[in-house]
Amino acid sequence: MEYLAHVRHMNDMQEGKTLVLTIRDLNPGKHKYTARVARVQVSRTPEALAHWDKLWILSVVGLKDPQPWGMKIVEELGVTVPGKPYSDIYEVLAKL
Amino acid sequence: MSTQVFEGKTAVSKATEAAKDQRSFVETLQRTGDVVFVDKEVHWDLELGAISRRLTEMDGPAVVFRNITDYPGQSIFVNPISTWRRAAVTLGLPPHVRIPEIYAEYIRRDANPIPPVLVKDAACRDVIVRVKDVDVCNLATPMIHDGDGGRYLGTWCIVVSKDPDTGWVNWGTYRFMIHNTQYLAGWPFPPSHCGKMLQEKYVPQNKPMPIAIVMGADQSSHLAATSTTRIGRDEASLAGGLADRPIEIARCLDSDLTFPACAEVVLEGEILPDQIAHEGPYGEYPGYRSGEMGAGILMKVNTICHRKDPMLSMDCTGFKDCSSVVTALGGGVGIQRVLERAGVPVTGVYVPSEGAVHLCIVGVSKGGREVTEKVLHALTGRRTYMTKILVVDDDVDIFNLSEVIHAWATRCHSERGIIIKHVEGSAQALTPCYSQEERARRAGASAAFDVTFPPEWDRWETPVRATFDKMFPEDVKKKVLDNWKSYGL
Repeated sequence: MEYLAHVRHMNDMQEGKTLVLTIRDLNPGKHKYTARVARVQVSRTPEALAHWDKLWILSVVGLKDPQPWGMKIVEELGVTVPGKPYSDIYEVLAKL
Repeated sequence: MSTQVFEGKTAVSKATEAAKDQRSFVETLQRTGDVVFVDKEVHWDLELGAISRRLTEMDGPAVVFRNITDYPGQSIFVNPISTWRRAAVTLGLPPHVRIPEIYAEYIRRDANPIPPVLVKDAACRDVIVRVKDVDVCNLATPMIHDGDGGRYLGTWCIVVSKDPDTGWVNWGTYRFMIHNTQYLAGWPFPPSHCGKMLQEKYVPQNKPMPIAIVMGADQSSHLAATSTTRIGRDEASLAGGLADRPIEIARCLDSDLTFPACAEVVLEGEILPDQIAHEGPYGEYPGYRSGEMGAGILMKVNTICHRKDPMLSMDCTGFKDCSSVVTALGGGVGIQRVLERAGVPVTGVYVPSEGAVHLCIVGVSKGGREVTEKVLHALTGRRTYMTKILVVDDDVDIFNLSEVIHAWATRCHSERGIIIKHVEGSAQALTPCYSQEERARRAGASAAFDVTFPPEWDRWETPVRATFDKMFPEDVKKKVLDNWKSYGL
């Protein structure tokens, strides 16, 4: 499986780190880019890249890191997250 | 493409009635040479967006994609009003009229609103999908730009919401993207009418806000939805004024919101007061994708209605998109009203599409620093879209950018002629020059340029433009013009 996620700061992505992201499904078809929220572990070790899902990271302005990460879903957190309209989604996800 | 008429024909020679729905508008554009049809299969995932963006930047025609991968039977009408020609056609004017004439017609119609007529039937009720069967991914929704947060369904749309206290129904145009099968994430600018209503009237009570997103309506209704108008003004009546006839409206199935009955697609649902999702980033009308901090709102879609073979509508946002043209029109007129109320001796306002709703040119009959300051304060209230404001003497044609730049370069005193105002909480987070930190605070600034000669200067000593128009007596000019061809010119 392949996903993408936008992050506020590219250096939020660190080897072995577990974090909460909005991940978008990149499988072709009508449901491509649909999103859900998950706690994921990310890694760029050869093992992770070979056996985990592939995750492409984009910056806050949509620039794509050319090197993907390996991603393991640790916990599915649903489709939406609690929060008031106009809350900063990055801050909300960081607190989950 | 079946036609390649980028210059556009001029088949329409006089004002005609504004098209009654989207399909008849497309037919009118076909007659004027301002639309092309693409029957080759095009993928919704970036290919459709790339074609549309390139056409926009070429000042090309609108385009209807009729063969979209994964979506047989659906079509998308892109860039309805991203040129002044199509703005003219929207008002039923000949496509070749000059911009000032389009403004004048808009102002005339804007001043004569016509109340809508409520009807029972809506064109979009061929197919009705309710609650558990809702899947917004069944609507042909392009991934417009590579790197966007998602697939934007709401770009050229009318977003309907209602003030629970006053009953005022607001039509606005705000972006919404697919989050998941039953959810859309959107970003009405927080100080917008919709944003304020949500934050002041629904969120404090923890109440969901009923909302409808409408696509493929008549262009008068879309134009009204994009207008810069005061809170409480009925956009359906404005749409009627712009169309020169009443607009038919219908009620939603799940709420008492009303929408143009001719619409191709309507999504009904509610903005949740206690749930959010990731929205953006998105390539927007300033011509950039600027990272506006992912602070949007979430719509749960409960009902989708659409015509049997729906023609969705889309603005391929970015430099010189529909937003910048229609805001130049409706926004320019709105700004003129604001300035008139503020007591500015305004003679005209132009928001050139090249300035991407950041540059505003204000003509005044009497200028000077005091007037320039008054203009600046009037345009930096609830929301501050214009970051560069040029106040020019009325001998400058505000619609002629060459004249405006000449005046700016020569009449604006580089020390005394620039006034800057800092704003907090009202700046547009999409403005590319703002830092991420400023975006989060909606902090920014607006600069007003006094491009006028000081009114206290003795007119006998005020510099005179060295132009054909200003440097010669009338009889000499007439003689030269009458004999122009005889000079071999």
